[in-house]
Amino acid sequence: MMDDIDLELFNKLEALNPDIKTCMACGLCTATCTTGKFTDMSFRKVILMLQRGKDKEAIEKVKSCMMCGKCMMVCSRGINTRNILLSITRIYNER
Amino acid sequence: MNEHKILIIGGGPAGMETAYQLKKLGLKPVIIERSDKLGGHLAQWDRLFPASDDAEALLEKMREQCIDIEKRLNTRITNITKENNIFHVSLSNGNSYDADAIVLCTGFDLFKAERKQEYGYGIYNNVITNAELEHYFKTHNDERINEPKKIGFVHCVGSRDVKVNNTYCSKVCCATALKQACEIKEEFPDSDVYCFYMDLRMFGKGYEDLYLKAQKDFDIKCVRGRVCEVSENIEGKLVIKAEDTLLGTPMKMTLDLLVLMCGMEKASGIERIQNMLNIKSNADGFIETRDTFYGLNHTKEEGVFVAGACTSPKTLPDTIAEARAAAVEVFNYLKDNGQQTFSLRF
Amino acid sequence: MRPIFDPFVLPFVLGMTFVLLYCIIGMTRIIFQLPKEDRRKFVRSLITPKTLWKDIKELFNDCLFHVKIWKRKPLLGYMHSSIAFGWFMIIILGHMESVAFSPFKDMQLPLMEKMASNLYLPIFFRFFAIEDASLKAQIYCFLMDFFLLMIISGIVIAVVKKKKPKNVGLKRVTKFGIREDLVRISLWTIFPLRFLAEASIAGITGGSFLTEFIGNKLIFGGSYNETLSLILWWLYSIDLAIFMFVLPFTRYMHIPAEALLILLRNAGLKTTEPRKGYAVAEIYSCPSCGLCIDVCPMSEVKDNYKNTAVYFIRNIRKRKRRRDVKNMTEKCLMCGKCIEVCPLGIESLDIKMAQRAKTYYKIKSDFSYLESCKDTESQSRQDEKSLKTVYFAGCMSHLTPKITRSMKSIFEAAKENYEFIDADGSICCGRPMMLTGKVKEAKTLIAKNTELIKKSGANRLVLSCPICYKVFKEEYQLDGIEILHHTQYINELIETERLNIDRSDKRYAYHDPCELGRAFGVYDEPRNIIDNIGLLTQGKSDKDMSVCCGGSIGSLTITLEERDEITKNSLKDITVNKPDEIVTACPLCLKTFARLSPINVKDIAEIVNENINVS
Repeated sequence: MMDDIDLELFNKLEALNPDIKTCMACGLCTATCTTGKFTDMSFRKVILMLQRGKDKEAIEKVKSCMMCGKCMMVCSRGINTRNILLSITRIYNER
Repeated sequence: MNEHKILIIGGGPAGMETAYQLKKLGLKPVIIERSDKLGGHLAQWDRLFPASDDAEALLEKMREQCIDIEKRLNTRITNITKENNIFHVSLSNGNSYDADAIVLCTGFDLFKAERKQEYGYGIYNNVITNAELEHYFKTHNDERINEPKKIGFVHCVGSRDVKVNNTYCSKVCCATALKQACEIKEEFPDSDVYCFYMDLRMFGKGYEDLYLKAQKDFDIKCVRGRVCEVSENIEGKLVIKAEDTLLGTPMKMTLDLLVLMCGMEKASGIERIQNMLNIKSNADGFIETRDTFYGLNHTKEEGVFVAGACTSPKTLPDTIAEARAAAVEVFNYLKDNGQQTFSLRF
Repeated sequence: MRPIFDPFVLPFVLGMTFVLLYCIIGMTRIIFQLPKEDRRKFVRSLITPKTLWKDIKELFNDCLFHVKIWKRKPLLGYMHSSIAFGWFMIIILGHMESVAFSPFKDMQLPLMEKMASNLYLPIFFRFFAIEDASLKAQIYCFLMDFFLLMIISGIVIAVVKKKKPKNVGLKRVTKFGIREDLVRISLWTIFPLRFLAEASIAGITGGSFLTEFIGNKLIFGGSYNETLSLILWWLYSIDLAIFMFVLPFTRYMHIPAEALLILLRNAGLKTTEPRKGYAVAEIYSCPSCGLCIDVCPMSEVKDNYKNTAVYFIRNIRKRKRRRDVKNMTEKCLMCGKCIEVCPLGIESLDIKMAQRAKTYYKIKSDFSYLESCKDTESQSRQDEKSLKTVYFAGCMSHLTPKITRSMKSIFEAAKENYEFIDADGSICCGRPMMLTGKVKEAKTLIAKNTELIKKSGANRLVLSCPICYKVFKEEYQLDGIEILHHTQYINELIETERLNIDRSDKRYAYHDPCELGRAFGVYDEPRNIIDNIGLLTQGKSDKDMSVCCGGSIGSLTITLEERDEITKNSLKDITVNKPDEIVTACPLCLKTFARLSPINVKDIAEIVNENINVS
């Protein structure tokens, strides 16, 4: 149930990185992802999963990121993806 | 003393239609066009969405309507000064006009595809633009298009993309892409055609039918995802990378031909004229209108009107409607201000 | 006969004792905070003649003559060296003079008293000793006056600098609080007070052109008023005391700290901890001169000048405001321009990197997936032994096919036996990871890449991305494999005539990427290439002063809008001489500039490729 999910951490993340809201899900970040060659890393999906309370799956993806910054370079909305990924690793807990 | 006229800057569809309507209203329009013929981008197009109507036929009709209208081809504006509501306009051919009103119909430029380097236009031979494909349909003369088996269309090239400083939607590319997809499939029935889109914005009359036709009759495959990189494999074929966002998986695909749907941008060189007339640009770089509803045909400068894609990306029907509206606005303006044109005629 | 003691010397003696003790304790603390290995290195450097000679040379050049400031801004150079060197000379000459002409020489004084008097005598010599008529004494007097005048002239410039920074070529200067104001005013008044005190008594004890003739004759009318003179000597001593008591808590701590920093640096030490050991020596060495403010690309954006190195160091020194320090650390573009202009060469980026390494990330990276990653391409290669060169384009270059395309045709034109090892993507070089502070994680990537590159059997590695270049040069152990950026590689091809270039009459401006230019001094190779192709136009600030393009991945938090401002400013600098095209050598700079540049931006490989002579 979407009603039961706890978005406290996501709200915190969003407050720190308001640009997170502007994603239009074009998929550029996923398509260009250096890590994506090896894993199912997808920045777009990480954000969506966190927003939908699927923290565990999202965190698994975040762990594989190499921080190369290519997603930031291509993002059509100019989202600072790299910093958002760093924020996630600071805000969320690995469990 | 010069006879007072209404100067129309730009001889594309907007300019031609405005001029024709002004003439019908009994005024004296003059079209100033920098190229050697009327028609603008329309003259480069083969068929028009949504129903693949003949572009040539529309253009012919428009040109015919303009036969009696005074035109200055191969001409540029060199200077404009305004004095007591009269515009003194000097032209590159040495002539000058005194005008009671100016209508800017300067249109747009197609986004320059090489600015999106990751798409490889100008680098890989088989990456072409929507305009080049249209030219091919018209002339069937393009070495790069040689029995392609797999064809991709990239939507939103130069639109909705802060990385090229164009954050707006160009409005016409979705429908153009599907129209061209159907047409190329018609040309090469054995080919597979993919459209890479972010949103299919099928808002106009007949557009949704076009979408349906593309799916049903032409088997065009629409993939929701923006293409991020194009490279070349050892055989010299294009390899594109995108995310299939509906499946949530990255995808790589080999293609024989990639068509970039270049969006609309402000016309280059228009700032020069804007500066002469003291007219600002809006956030998207196009000419700023007085407001979003009633002032659509007006600029903030009295006596300077606008029509067509010089203020924002527009479809042809929008442009024609706006041109007609501009003619009425000009007529009302001259009448209300008791300009000389009117005192001469009425 | 003059007295041998007066209570007015006490404030000075107390101040001096305090500052000496403070410095000794501080220095000891810093040395004990160093890692063991570093401490050993430091001691070794002090007994190695070569480093010792270097130490002495630099102590003179940097602490006294401020050679680095002279080179950048001669007027500021004069201001500093006149005060520092002048003061130094007054102290040295004062001691020599007080030994040569000590009024206590013939007195039978207890040893303690003699030693105590030696503390203040050189400073207040004119009060206690009467000049004799010998030439030697005349020369001493003249020199003392000469250096006093030199210092005062420096102070005049300092006052002008404070009032109107533009007059000395600065746009912005550092803003200070009350404590700094107090110490500055006390410093500025020390020498005018010394002049007045000496002048007031010059009629009796003697002086030279400044104190006796100008001071005593003109100001005091050649007479001696005992009370007035004593007041002036008191003021002089109190002023010195104020300066010394406040000094450890102000920017003037750079005077003793710089000496220590020079010794530590020459021992080959680097920052390992952001608030300990070497970093502390650097932090206290910052004179807050603010030369880094004007050059920081960030300063172009409103209010962001507060993120420049000088304010960063000040905040870290204050030991509070951890949040500010964190934010400043993460915002920095890491372009290194502040270090380039820093008269003390304070490596603030190392402090920032050490600070970033302190960030606590709850979620740890997991690169176990790399273990199964195989270098498929090199397995399929046929004759492995003959491979000479591998080309590693890097992540970003995949967004700039013009670079990879041009490199391919350059390799082919030069008939190079090469392999494009990351044609189909690769593992990131590790530099971006390092920049986030995750050093251990970066090392994992580095290890994997090292393995893949070594397996290729090549003896040269050509890179297109300066970000990769930096980390490959600094962190990779590729023993035997030469690491080249493509500017260096292409330049070598041209010089050895493996590549023939046609000339055109195009005018090119060259932008130095931070991680190629400032980081490694690769300035001549790209310029040499351009000289072979067309005409190189000068930018407003080239080479080590080149302005970051704004796209740097060094910054973690900067927004796109802020980046755009930096980019526009950098473009303005580059295009000042109206080039036809902008040339750079970094995919990131290329993409960043291309967004906002009014003229074409190309990679150096691209213009080379356009001009290859195929015949």
